[in-house]
Amino acid sequence: MKTKRIFYITALIFALTACNDFLSVNPQSELTQEAFPNTQEDALQATNAVYSSLRDWHYHSGGYPILDFMSDDGHKGSNPNDGASTQGPYENFTHSTTQDGLDRWWNVLFQGIRRANIVIEKVEPIAMDENLKDRLIGEASFLRGLYYFDLVRAFGGVPLVKTTEPDLKISRSTVDQTYELIIEDLELAIDNLPFKSEYSNNDLGRATKGAAKALLAKVYLFQQDFENAEIYALEVITSDEYDLEPDFYDANGPDGEHGVESVFEIGAVETGGGGGNQYANTQGVRGTPNRGWGFNRPSVDLREAFGEDDPRRGGTIIELGDVIDGIEIIGDGTTPDETTDDDGNVIEIESYNRKVWIPGTSTDTQFGHNRRLIRFADILLIAAEALNENDKPNEALIQLNRVRERARQGDETILPDITETNKEVLRENILHERRIELALEGHRFWDLVRTGNADDVLVPAGFVTGKHELLPIPQSEIDLSQGSLSQNDNWN
Amino acid sequence: MKQMIEQISFLKRWKFRAGKFSLMIGMALSLFISLSFNSEVLAQQEVRGTVIDAETQETMPGVNIQVKGTMRGTTTNTDGIFSIRLDSNQAVLVFTFIGYESHEANVERGEELVVELQPVVGELEGLVVVGYGAIRKRDMTGAVGRVSSEDIGKITSLNAEQSLQGRVSGVQITTTSGAPGAAAAVRIRGVGTFNNSSPIYVVDGVILDDISFLNSSDIESMEILKDASATAIYGSRGANGVILVQTKHGSRSVEGPVVNVSAEGGIQQLEQQIDLLSGREFAIISNEIRPGTYNNVDAVPNTNWQDLIFESAPMQNHQVSVSGASDNADYYISLGYFNQSGIIGKSNFERINLKFNNNYRLNENIKLGNNITISPYKQQVAPNATFAVYRAQPVLEPYYPDGSFGVVHNVGNPLADLDHSNNFNSGTRVVGNIFTEAIVANDFLLRSSFGIDAALHRSENFTPAYTVFNPDGTASQQDNTYSDLFKGEGINYTWLWENTVNYVKDFDRHQVNSVAGFTMQQTRSEILQLSGQNVIRNGEDFWYIQPSYIVDEANNINMLSSIFNGVDAGQYYNMMSFLGRVVYSFDNKYMTTLTLRRDGSSKFADENQWGYFPSFALGWNIDQENFMQSVKVLNLLKIRASWGMIGNEKINYYDRFSRVNAGLLAVFGNPDEAFVAGTYGKTGNPDLKWETTTQTDIGLEFALLENRLTGEIDFYNRVTDDILVELSTPGHLGNGQGQRIRYNAASVLNRGVEFTVGWQDRLGELGYGINVLGNTIHNEVQAIGGNSGIDSLLIGGFLANGQAVTLSSVGHPIGAFYGYKTDGIFQNPAELDAYPHLSQAGVGDLRFVDTDGDGDLDGDDRIYLGSPIPTFVYGFSVDLNYKDLDFSIGLQGQYGNKIFNGKNVVRPDPYNFEQHVWNRWSGEGTSNSEPQASFGGYNYLPSDRFIQDGSFLRIRSLIFGYSLPNNLLNSVGISKARFYVKATNLFTFTNYTGYTPEIGSSDVLSNSIDNGIYPIPRVISLGFNTTF
Repeated sequence: MKTKRIFYITALIFALTACNDFLSVNPQSELTQEAFPNTQEDALQATNAVYSSLRDWHYHSGGYPILDFMSDDGHKGSNPNDGASTQGPYENFTHSTTQDGLDRWWNVLFQGIRRANIVIEKVEPIAMDENLKDRLIGEASFLRGLYYFDLVRAFGGVPLVKTTEPDLKISRSTVDQTYELIIEDLELAIDNLPFKSEYSNNDLGRATKGAAKALLAKVYLFQQDFENAEIYALEVITSDEYDLEPDFYDANGPDGEHGVESVFEIGAVETGGGGGNQYANTQGVRGTPNRGWGFNRPSVDLREAFGEDDPRRGGTIIELGDVIDGIEIIGDGTTPDETTDDDGNVIEIESYNRKVWIPGTSTDTQFGHNRRLIRFADILLIAAEALNENDKPNEALIQLNRVRERARQGDETILPDITETNKEVLRENILHERRIELALEGHRFWDLVRTGNADDVLVPAGFVTGKHELLPIPQSEIDLSQGSLSQNDNWN
Repeated sequence: MKQMIEQISFLKRWKFRAGKFSLMIGMALSLFISLSFNSEVLAQQEVRGTVIDAETQETMPGVNIQVKGTMRGTTTNTDGIFSIRLDSNQAVLVFTFIGYESHEANVERGEELVVELQPVVGELEGLVVVGYGAIRKRDMTGAVGRVSSEDIGKITSLNAEQSLQGRVSGVQITTTSGAPGAAAAVRIRGVGTFNNSSPIYVVDGVILDDISFLNSSDIESMEILKDASATAIYGSRGANGVILVQTKHGSRSVEGPVVNVSAEGGIQQLEQQIDLLSGREFAIISNEIRPGTYNNVDAVPNTNWQDLIFESAPMQNHQVSVSGASDNADYYISLGYFNQSGIIGKSNFERINLKFNNNYRLNENIKLGNNITISPYKQQVAPNATFAVYRAQPVLEPYYPDGSFGVVHNVGNPLADLDHSNNFNSGTRVVGNIFTEAIVANDFLLRSSFGIDAALHRSENFTPAYTVFNPDGTASQQDNTYSDLFKGEGINYTWLWENTVNYVKDFDRHQVNSVAGFTMQQTRSEILQLSGQNVIRNGEDFWYIQPSYIVDEANNINMLSSIFNGVDAGQYYNMMSFLGRVVYSFDNKYMTTLTLRRDGSSKFADENQWGYFPSFALGWNIDQENFMQSVKVLNLLKIRASWGMIGNEKINYYDRFSRVNAGLLAVFGNPDEAFVAGTYGKTGNPDLKWETTTQTDIGLEFALLENRLTGEIDFYNRVTDDILVELSTPGHLGNGQGQRIRYNAASVLNRGVEFTVGWQDRLGELGYGINVLGNTIHNEVQAIGGNSGIDSLLIGGFLANGQAVTLSSVGHPIGAFYGYKTDGIFQNPAELDAYPHLSQAGVGDLRFVDTDGDGDLDGDDRIYLGSPIPTFVYGFSVDLNYKDLDFSIGLQGQYGNKIFNGKNVVRPDPYNFEQHVWNRWSGEGTSNSEPQASFGGYNYLPSDRFIQDGSFLRIRSLIFGYSLPNNLLNSVGISKARFYVKATNLFTFTNYTGYTPEIGSSDVLSNSIDNGIYPIPRVISLGFNTTF
């Protein structure tokens, strides 16, 4: 009997000692976050992931070009029913705090910020090439600044997350505090990043010193700090890294990808193996040829703003009947060619965004469009605007006329150089040039708000001053915050 | 389990000698059970005798006889005669038989005796199988339902759990699909959690998640453990109920081997078609929506797609079993074959069952046994033709005059779909255990069991390149440019090692029945999937994935690799448990049961790894009290009450870990090239712990009029706390859109009353029995979110177009429907102007109610529209037998639940309509319920228009049987032969307009949503069953 008891006890002890090991099981096939990033290769992958958010469909203002719908440049597009209740309301400022897309945009921007924070916080302790480490942290800082810049313009001051383990509840910082963080990030990026020309061909698309300066110029412009905007814009212009593409089509088209005009763009490959970007598919020609959904229809107002002879109109708007790359644009059967109001005035004409056109045969190829986030023409116009505000009209005209010169494509009968030096008039000229040059690229709404012109231009469409300058904080986020997030003024 | 009953029944005082002989049974088993015995071989000498019923004086076959204190036992033969060897001159024999008092007799070698067994009142002496043991029914303090093999055979179905439908109160079984091989959703006492709400199954001691591998004919009985007193012994897995399954074993009730042959063949049919518009009606409606679509509505084709797709289909179910027993061994071996074709072509399920249940008595004290099932299957799965048939326009011809498939706009020709479908699953499942049992120190039964559940599943799906052409010769959307081949393989492997000690003892009026144990379990699984395109030829011989390059002809440059989507996902978790239970009864009147299980699971982090699951119950046999002895009419009156906490841990093993997403890409370079990217992925929650269900049950059992009237009523209250739900997190955490984190953050209440009442009697030669049962369910979410900072609602029930139609929120049931409430039709422009409405609404459209009264109609006006969970589930059965004839009918129903007619809502394109559209609004005053016709859009937003009554009553089973007379059979050596005609799902009374009102889902947030369910067929079958 005794031996038996000993046996039982031994068995039990064996079982108990086995306990701890037996019940500790690791996830199969997936790393846990404690184990990443730990190596130089990990650091590079973690940095790449921060860029990956740029190709997320949601990154592009929640998937749809709502910033253009909300401006005088674009309408919702597609056929009348498509997105009528989800995206349509942005067009006439009837969007609500639960409007489709708001939460997606908010979430993806903070997801990008989190990915940047992982690099900034976790790459530092890794034993690796110190130059590369600095560069990677610089890239992450640039992108964090870029994501916050979208947040602050779209939503105002937001919760500032600078760590990988933020509190569950963080209240909103002010607009100024948000800009302070953006400037801090971009200054670090300028210090750490190489020039575009210093990257190998394989690394084009990564953040550069020029991109960081260009973005910082823009950040200062939005803060009405024209002195700093001038300094950084001119640094980019005089860096000899950039120039305008000779052909306007190439500024956004496939032949100009990573070209001389590209300051910062989002690389993308056609779908099939991943790596695509749906931005151009969302706006691609609907119907025949089938290149996408046809959102962001150029407005009649934009059409007229070009005037009769500006060649950039053809580079911005695809008309029915156009033949591009040998393909006739027939358009969509469920979309009226012309939409009229009750008085018979034409208010919409079926047409598409030329800037996202990609040669090819299917919707797949559209996924390979490289969206230009910052291009040199934008920087020239920022410089022109800042110089004019800083009372240097003649220097401003140099930058402005560079843009017009390219636009006239050698045809001296059109788009003459501007010689205006009256500050107010020149300001209007520059802003008009911005509209024409950068139409349907997502700048217009913010430019109208930034300059205070939204009042005049957008009120007829339903814009309420003091309310619609900002989007509402998504209601879902207000609910989830359980009181720690406040809503923007005049949004309930 | 059955062996355990035998042993416990004789486990009282006995003699035992320890000694030299030692037995090693495998490395693992020997750890726990290494016992030493001295086998004293003595001269063998027999005791013979006859067992008779003390009242009728008839001989009793099948009575268990055990030499007290040993494993030695036998059973009486058909004439009630037994013989048994004795190892010593004198011994005590214990006679047991269900429904009779057990009897002990002191015997000597060579003696011949006649034993009279006394029938017991209310089967109190009978033993009931409970987890890890068996206890006397009289001592039961828990709520346990039971179905016998006889009831299981009353319906024709692949899955044995289908037989519980309408037979056990508190159990709701809903079929998720009528497709061959589809699983059923089983819910015991409501819906207890947002997660997997299915019970666990324990087949001969092996704990499993399903019993689809079992042949119904191999099952002896199923016990459904419902309350905490019964389920707490299963601790962290018992919260949603436990179904114990005992399979058959050999017995010595008949001399020599018993051979049983059964065969059944049947025809399945669609119960009823959905009433859709005819070609002419559709053309008329189309012309109203888009004038001029059809020039001559009388000349359009009229295709009834339902006629084309549904067909009668055969079903067969055969089995041969051989069983028997000798002094030292018993066996049950069976071979089963099940084959069901679907009522939609190209769907089929075929299964073979091999079953071996053996027991070997190694010596006086040690027994070894196995219960093993091997079950290979093959399944063909049809594409979702039901939904396509529902939508296909009746004005389209299925074929062109040349015989090729006609185009079906927007839907695809369902016949072409079906014709090109080759979707197969196959696999083998092996489930079983090997166990050893030993009696030590007189009163202890040690048992060690090692069980496995090993499964290999394969799937193969091939679609050839094919094109359905438009009438003008261009390719339609139904155009598969390259053939597609998909292959998947999954391996599941679970082992379970259980070691228990049972102790059963009487001390005068005190009785103790207890068990303690230690168990370990490991589950691992892995899935591999691979897809390819452009297989060189279509034949089955070429269904192998090979690299091939696909040239993009238009560009003449793009080379796409033809192989993609390798997936390798695994499951890996372990569990370790300690368990104990004591049942104590005093004087057969007062009982108490105490249970405690301690479970440790690798799914939780160190601090939360272990959980305790206790239960406590009391019972009182009032009929045993002296003051009740004068109440002759009463045979049984028992009150019992139980309380306990049980757990649920059916979540992914990795939910607690924060993981890395290494599957991202970043694109750099000129030309663009994708580079690997990795970052933090899904955030885990290391604080996760068990879900805990606290259940209180008060029950009353009674038997009256010499057991003619029996009944059981239970009140139950189940509150599940700490439910593991995935909740949205604030965006600033950066988890990304739609990413959720699991928290212990919800509570759900299920409360109800359940009852079973039966009446059994004879009228001359007519024997009859009537059973009525039912249960109410009140299901209510009590909390979601809370301090975790997260959601207060859970959205689910996503339709094919992404619209969510269920919202689980505090105060409403799990998976409650929500949407707009309608209030008639806008009859004229003045009405339209007078009420808040969505911008798309016009005259003739539905009027949605501004429920929040803010003067704006928007998403906030969507409200609770009904529950998918019935408030009352019931069953009714009658069994009759007269001489050689038998008849049985079983009805089953539910009341109070709603169905969301999802297939009617998803209308991006012009589809056919249900008949109700014919009564459309066509001008002021024409209709105030059916809006003007439209092909989709506004009137098809989720609203109460699509919520339908889900109540139904179904004739579940109907059987006529005829047994050949015994005198005829005996002359040819057959002991029993019965022929029968059986109807399963004969008819359903319901107001629902779909194929079936029974729409289950494994996802509790998507319950009772009809997205085009595969109809549950009616089965008419003929069968025979013979024993010799």
